[in-house]
Amino acid sequence: MTNLSDRQQLSFIASQAADARLNVELETEGMTLNIGPQHPATHGTLRIICRLDGEQVVWAEPSCGYMHRGYEKLTEVRTFPQVTSLVNRIDWLGSFANEVPFILAAEKLMEVEAPPRAQVIRTILFELSRIANVTLFLGDLGVQMGAITPVFIAFRDREYVLNLIEGATGGRFHPNFDRIGGLKDDLPKGWIDETRQTMVKLRKFCDIIEDLLFGNEIFQSRMRGIGIIPADVAKDYGLTGANLRASGVDYDLRRDQEIALSYDKVDFTVWTHPDGDSWARCWVRLQETREACKIVEQLLDQIPAGPIMTKVPRIIKVPAGEAWVSTENPLGEMGYYVVSKGDLGPFRVKIRSASFNNISIVPWALKGVYVPDIITILASLYFILGDIDR
Amino acid sequence: MGLVDRGRMPAPLTKLFNMSRSYSLWVYQWGLACCAIEMGAAFGSPRYDVMRLGVIPLPASPRQADFVCISGTVTDKMAPAVKRLWEQMPEPKYAISMGSCANCGGPYWDSYSVTKGVDQIIPIDVYVPGCPPRPEALLEGIVLLQQRIKNEDMAAKWRGDEFTTQQATRERERIAAAPAISAPAIPDREPIVVGGGPIE
Amino acid sequence: MSDATDTDEQPLALPGDGLREGIIEDLRRRIGGGVVDTHITPNDDLWIRVQTGAWRQTAEALKAAGFTHFSFISGLDWMPSPYGTGESDPTAEPKELDTEIRQGVTGGETRFQVFARLVDLDRHVGVTIKADVPDEPFAVDSWSMVFAGANWHERECHEMFGIGFNGHPDLRNMYLPTDFEGYPLRKDFPLLARMIKPWPGIVDVEPMPVQPEPAGEPATQDTEST
Repeated sequence: MTNLSDRQQLSFIASQAADARLNVELETEGMTLNIGPQHPATHGTLRIICRLDGEQVVWAEPSCGYMHRGYEKLTEVRTFPQVTSLVNRIDWLGSFANEVPFILAAEKLMEVEAPPRAQVIRTILFELSRIANVTLFLGDLGVQMGAITPVFIAFRDREYVLNLIEGATGGRFHPNFDRIGGLKDDLPKGWIDETRQTMVKLRKFCDIIEDLLFGNEIFQSRMRGIGIIPADVAKDYGLTGANLRASGVDYDLRRDQEIALSYDKVDFTVWTHPDGDSWARCWVRLQETREACKIVEQLLDQIPAGPIMTKVPRIIKVPAGEAWVSTENPLGEMGYYVVSKGDLGPFRVKIRSASFNNISIVPWALKGVYVPDIITILASLYFILGDIDR
Repeated sequence: MGLVDRGRMPAPLTKLFNMSRSYSLWVYQWGLACCAIEMGAAFGSPRYDVMRLGVIPLPASPRQADFVCISGTVTDKMAPAVKRLWEQMPEPKYAISMGSCANCGGPYWDSYSVTKGVDQIIPIDVYVPGCPPRPEALLEGIVLLQQRIKNEDMAAKWRGDEFTTQQATRERERIAAAPAISAPAIPDREPIVVGGGPIE
Repeated sequence: MSDATDTDEQPLALPGDGLREGIIEDLRRRIGGGVVDTHITPNDDLWIRVQTGAWRQTAEALKAAGFTHFSFISGLDWMPSPYGTGESDPTAEPKELDTEIRQGVTGGETRFQVFARLVDLDRHVGVTIKADVPDEPFAVDSWSMVFAGANWHERECHEMFGIGFNGHPDLRNMYLPTDFEGYPLRKDFPLLARMIKPWPGIVDVEPMPVQPEPAGEPATQDTEST
């Protein structure tokens, strides 16, 4: 929190009193403001209906469903490989990360494990998709605060990561590269060196953004102290990812659960911040991008030789059972509860997407804030519409 | 100008206007889903810069836009908003449908809440297939749209005809001016074929 | 795992570290007979099925036991789809459809179940809780006064399955337009696009071109006929 001098505090109180007097005289209560569904500040088609009293929000409600594509119903009529290709499009910025928990759940039901080489490459691609995702977040953060330059830098530096993902998988996003039992293909020649060089560039990007955005006085005064979410409220609503860690809760699924990814081979820090305000959430994400670069660099030195896929039958029938796998995706915790009856496709898939819980706190968080802070809080909570609406 | 709607625009002036229109397009980005990111990469990133084609990306409102690029899945809940956006745009307006979701429903062709193609709601000029299409594919779509605008008959567009290219107008005029197909003339004499052989 | 040849004494160590068994014992102590069935995959995951009447009580008990992080609530429809699953070959004989309702892990008695997941962030363990939804009244108690985040999840579960939640402040549609008819995630809700034109399955898109028959005698000089 910033330190205000006595004089500043007195003038703040005087301005609040003047505000209140004006509100009584002017009767500014009860204006309904509709943000969206098409609005440059929302990451897609989110509609927020706010009821205002002057400049303050009395009541706010997000109205979702403008991107609801019916994923859970669609997965019931598709085979497992088809579901993999469909599921990339939930969190469409870091697409590889969406396939991984689903494939891990199917592998758990089939009781196969991907060979070590495939696990390490899976983890590398997972972290690359995290970098691709959060890079755009950092750029968009500027746009939502009114600074246009960072988004051009973000798109430019994101292109390097997309080039890498395209080189390995063939698709810039929506790679559809994970298979039950391993990966589709091995890495091309020269990819590892290219990745090392790209990580250097991405670290430089993080430094540029820290300087340009986070060091900016206007940005700091707009972000600090806004939208404080205490830890117990965060846990009640089920916030995950950087939102939870920025409220001081030390929980990271990469470190805290045993999963068939290679996080036990690397050494990384889990960043938390005690404040729980918008600044903390954005700062934690910046640090996580740096950590992701570090993880990729460490893993590149440790890729074991070996096959890229275990022996699985050509037509995959997953045995009956239920499995839950969740991973630390770029947006938060994403999990799949897969129910299988022994068919070619799943019987029911429940997709636990991170942004749904992250945005469910918006009615609570927006009570009593000023209108410009609505965008600040939404920007710092960071959601992708495909993740909310599935 | 009265010349446009009466179709009396002289050809060099039409060519000049069409060329200047096609190189100063203001595009409204209606980005809904994953294709919006590729559209952002095409329009906003320094690598696939769209401004070099004469297309400017960020209008302040749809009322100032020349064409709209609908990218991403259109759901039934969102469809009225798309229609309202289209009605807000002033003529002459064009639409590009980007991505397979906007073209035909895409991977969600069997969903209960997805509109199977935005052309059910608004008329589309260029379809850009892909999931998502590369930024270069979108730029090709824009170049094709520019070619269409260069070949456009402004009077037909003003009237709201379905086919507005100059070739279509020429074809229509040719068909209208062509003489009616008459019956074949009855020959004076019957050719006699004895034992076969070529007919005189 | 216990030694299979050791038949004269009970295995001393459970397969696992006793953490999840301890959680079950704790819950049994708090809600008594509410716990109907449990299932543990060792060192991995835990499922508990509770009585419908004890649904909210379970949430309160687990929250008090340390499971303070709410993950999700959703529903399960165990009836196999009468329309079949779309991946079967439409040119083959339609198979006899399986209509038996078989619930999954931890069993059940009804066609519909609700299930939820809670996580204990300190002990790093999660639990999946299930409960049957009776046919009449087709509702369970709401969790929204225990976990605030349950509000939205219950709205989504209601619009997708039709399950009511007693005590929920505002049970309206989350994703679907207000005038949508039907409950989409039920198995008897058809996907109309698939009924009109079924997915063709694995097709050979373009068959190989037909090879011309090789001529027996050498080709004659083929000039144009005069």
